[in-house]
Amino acid sequence: MSATKTISFTLNGAPVTADVKPHHNLVELLQGQFGLTGARETCGQGLCGCCTVIVDGLAVSGCLYLAAFLNDGAEVSTVEGLDTPAKLSPVQEAFVETAAFQCGYCTPGFILMVGQLLDEHPDPDDDQIKHYLTGNLCRCATYPQVMEAVRLAAKKRKAGAAA
Amino acid sequence: MTPFELAEPTSLKEAIKLLDPDDPTIRPVGGGTALMLMMKAGVFKPVKLISLRRIENSYSTIAATGDGLRIGAMTTLAALERSADVKKAAPLITRTLKTLSNIRVRNVATVGGALAHGDPHMDLPPVLMALGATLTVMGPKGERKLAVEDLFAGYYETVLDKDELIAEAHVPAHGTKKAAYMKVTTGSADDWPALGVAVVLEGDAGGIKSARIVASAATDKATRLKSAEAALIGGKVDDTLLAKVGDAAADEAEYIADVRGSISYKRELMRVYVRRAVRAALEGAK
Repeated sequence: MSATKTISFTLNGAPVTADVKPHHNLVELLQGQFGLTGARETCGQGLCGCCTVIVDGLAVSGCLYLAAFLNDGAEVSTVEGLDTPAKLSPVQEAFVETAAFQCGYCTPGFILMVGQLLDEHPDPDDDQIKHYLTGNLCRCATYPQVMEAVRLAAKKRKAGAAA
Repeated sequence: MTPFELAEPTSLKEAIKLLDPDDPTIRPVGGGTALMLMMKAGVFKPVKLISLRRIENSYSTIAATGDGLRIGAMTTLAALERSADVKKAAPLITRTLKTLSNIRVRNVATVGGALAHGDPHMDLPPVLMALGATLTVMGPKGERKLAVEDLFAGYYETVLDKDELIAEAHVPAHGTKKAAYMKVTTGSADDWPALGVAVVLEGDAGGIKSARIVASAATDKATRLKSAEAALIGGKVDDTLLAKVGDAAADEAEYIADVRGSISYKRELMRVYVRRAVRAALEGAK
């Protein structure tokens, strides 16, 4: 049978240790051992973006990423780590203010991918936004509002950096 | 997924020792993005996976060589996409990656995996084949060179033994050659393609001196279309010549039907897209 492996890593800024089974993916680890349900396995094929997790600064599809791939010392971030009890992140604020969701199911994945987009392109044009979000599906079809949210988030980030 | 064991060797040699030429339930895994789909679908139930993620870091690097690129097999597609060396020596690869799956998959999937998986729908195999890339393959008896053109044996099949691993890819620089890759997605824009066509040409619209035309996705494996190449060489490239090239390609390829199109539909796609890809290569890519 499969042997469990112990991995110590950072989850949303806090040091944690997890016992990982080889056949568990990252979503199963986050949900099963840490109660984090922001990343959800949905299409299960890396197409929809609902399972987006940031590992060592890069977005991955948590449903296609074996939990055992995490290195000791890895930095893992999920949507739950973006806000504080007092304040949402600029991207989260922008999504709320532009109503860039309806049911909200895909929103965590979108928000994490937009964070990555703005890290790479602080002032993205429409092509860059579409390119980055190709792998995120919104079945409520709030894509026009998402585009608006990204532009607003870019402004908010800049204002934050200037302040 | 059903439980399995995971071995994490720290060298390529050690990884090869852990593979078994006679046991198909033991398989290497790189990024795992393609293999996971098979495992989730229950098509593949491994007893043991050999992770290549902790082998020597040199297999995750890209280097410019005198005449092109050396790309470690564990290089992620995202690293390939962002490499200035790749953009300079083989801009066709950089352009292809922009529409290959999505960013999350590219962040994890590897060059070696895209080749060794033998999936005819992938974009990198036809492009590397058209560029004349070769591989260094390592096995228990040492290393051998293999042209990407000779890698694929059939639908999800390669000529690699089960205890052989792709270590590196060597890609000749484009130089003055003209290159294009076009794909047709009949579902959503980011779906797997119904057809991929890669074209690398020497010459100009006045006359082509050499050509490599490779089709994928519509076929059971990435395939060079040699009669289309022959039809293209020599004459002035105009609508008449391109029609002959498209017809030759359509006649030569062997098609597979799937949810993305019937055989007759893909044959017509081939006729049209080989022409378009040649034209795109000659016109130069943006």
